[in-house]
Amino acid sequence: MSTLALMRWLETTPKRYDKGMHLLTLGRVSSLRDRLVDMAVTGPNCQVLEIGCGTGAVTELLSDRGVEVTAIDQNPAMLELARQRLQNKPDTNITFIECTAAEIDSLPEQSYDAIIASLSLSEMSPSERAFVLHQAALRLKPGGRLVVGDEVRPRISWQRFINLILRAPQALLGWLLVGSISHPIPDLAGELCATGLKVVHEDRWLQDTLAVVTAAKNK
Amino acid sequence: MSESIPVYKAVLYSLLLDILQTVLRMIPWSTEPGLYAVGNPDSDSPVVLTCNYDLTVRQVARVLAENDVWLVVAPSSGINVWCAAAGGHFGTHQIVTALKTCGIEAQVNHRRVILPQLSATGVLAREVSKRCGWKVRFGPAYATDLPRYLATGQKNDESMRRVHFRAFERMEMAFAWGFPMALVVVILVAPFRSNWCLPLAILIICTALAIFSLYDRIPSKPGITLSAVITGIALACVWAAGGNIGALLTALIFPGILVALLTFDYPGSTPIAGGAHFEERNWHIVVDAERCRGVFSCFEVCPEACFTKQDNPRFIYHSSPDRCIRCGACIVQCSQDALWFEDEQGQRIEPEQIRRYKLNLLGQRTINTEDQFIKPPV
Ligand SMILES: C[S@@+](CC[C@H](N)C(=O)[O-])C[C@H]1O[C@@H](n2cnc3c(N)ncnc32)[C@H](O)[C@@H]1O
Ligand code: SF4
Ligand code: SF4
Repeated sequence: MSTLALMRWLETTPKRYDKGMHLLTLGRVSSLRDRLVDMAVTGPNCQVLEIGCGTGAVTELLSDRGVEVTAIDQNPAMLELARQRLQNKPDTNITFIECTAAEIDSLPEQSYDAIIASLSLSEMSPSERAFVLHQAALRLKPGGRLVVGDEVRPRISWQRFINLILRAPQALLGWLLVGSISHPIPDLAGELCATGLKVVHEDRWLQDTLAVVTAAKNK
Repeated sequence: MSESIPVYKAVLYSLLLDILQTVLRMIPWSTEPGLYAVGNPDSDSPVVLTCNYDLTVRQVARVLAENDVWLVVAPSSGINVWCAAAGGHFGTHQIVTALKTCGIEAQVNHRRVILPQLSATGVLAREVSKRCGWKVRFGPAYATDLPRYLATGQKNDESMRRVHFRAFERMEMAFAWGFPMALVVVILVAPFRSNWCLPLAILIICTALAIFSLYDRIPSKPGITLSAVITGIALACVWAAGGNIGALLTALIFPGILVALLTFDYPGSTPIAGGAHFEERNWHIVVDAERCRGVFSCFEVCPEACFTKQDNPRFIYHSSPDRCIRCGACIVQCSQDALWFEDEQGQRIEPEQIRRYKLNLLGQRTINTEDQFIKPPV
């Protein structure tokens, strides 16, 4: 794996990440992010936790709405870009933390109005994702919302078939463009329900392969 | 033992899969991260952690078949330990993720985990312990030494710490490079000259074998010497077979290109040569006599045994700098920040930079080019 060219290329992925993601999703990533933020920010003075903020595209949208954000990511190079992106904005209330998603279990319980995960859960293994979602549900205030935007498996069989065929080239392209391999989440709504939250809204794009699912905690 | 934990058995002996994954090792073949039981482990059994490169996981499970251990597979993007650790895909966060989420905490009543020594350049042992309470110990560099390591009270002797590049490993690497290259060439050539396919494939594999067995033994410019030799052989073969001018010309150019391609990343593919692309800056390890407390973690993790210990007063000497491959493991692990990279002009890369951004000089990390947004202080 340690080929010179590939390593160099992957090393610079954080810089290319934003453009790469735009290409990979044929531009749909912007609608996904807008929807995420619309679903998460329900009023002024919201406190939001963002899991896997990457280069901070969603973080920026959140801060434009004037909410207080805690943004975590495990990749220091991505976080550095997020910090740079937001450093010149006035009146932001953002805390960046370099840690892995599983470490949200050390944050206080019942303290967020919304928790957002944009395209980061699909990079986790099923056992990690279950742990993180469970912990996230515990950190929500009563009535709070868990909003997840990610790659999902289409529901209709012919779309699933096309998806399967395109999977290998897509994975290769993804690896080259944004330096990570994601695994479409088979049953995102189901996994959210399993944490005891109630799914209140679902949107799909790109032949049913991108979804934003919103789940709420009982009041 | 809970029913839900998959048991890793030596039934997984699948030679075919081994061969396939060896010749196509450029592709990240991954195992699903999580907890596996090898043998019949209980709450006191040792916990061994490895990357999720499928071939490695199977090897580890296989060599441990006679033991009862818990095997934690951590997410390393399907890349092997050494490359993933040096490249930032297998570090503190991935270890913490695996330990916290795989379910091992419910299975054992201790918090000690054995990591592959070659992950030391990526994983900050004391940070893991701070973040999740697990105590990291670096075990042997090679999985094959794990049973001996476990049987001898978890002590690494020098033979278990040092990396090598033996005949079998050279052969594996030659196929890992030669096979995909041969495949591409055959696919390109087949529609035009199907009778060239086999000879070309053989030539490519043989070239790769020659390069990986001879590279570090030929004095000066092995790329050119090898190109010449192989081109000579290729010409002789074509001539002997009664080839025409076109064939002779192909035989003249083709091997040269091949050797260039193969030697291009030779150092990056071996554990014994490093930093070939940094020659111009000549970064080397410096030990700060004031700061060194003789903790010897550097000694424990160096895969090239570059250090010599002094006991009274406790101090370390970087005694074999010529062997150093600049993997940075010693710098990352030193709790006193007593080690760093320095070049001839006295410019430094600080330990913190190396820890955070994996700015080791193993292979070809571009640390002084314009296009990199993270720059060491110049
Ligand atoms: C595809 S990017 C998405 C970035 C951003 N949210 C966006 O929408 O553009 C995924 C990010 O999640 C982070 N990530 C993946 N797994 C993670 C984990 N287990 N813990 C923390 N961050 C993680 C990666 O480092 C990466 O920056
Ligand atoms: S250099 Fe650091 S790790 Fe090595 S012996 Fe000295 S204090 Fe210990
Ligand atoms: S950088 Fe050199 S001295 Fe330090 S651990 Fe690596 S090989 Fe050994």
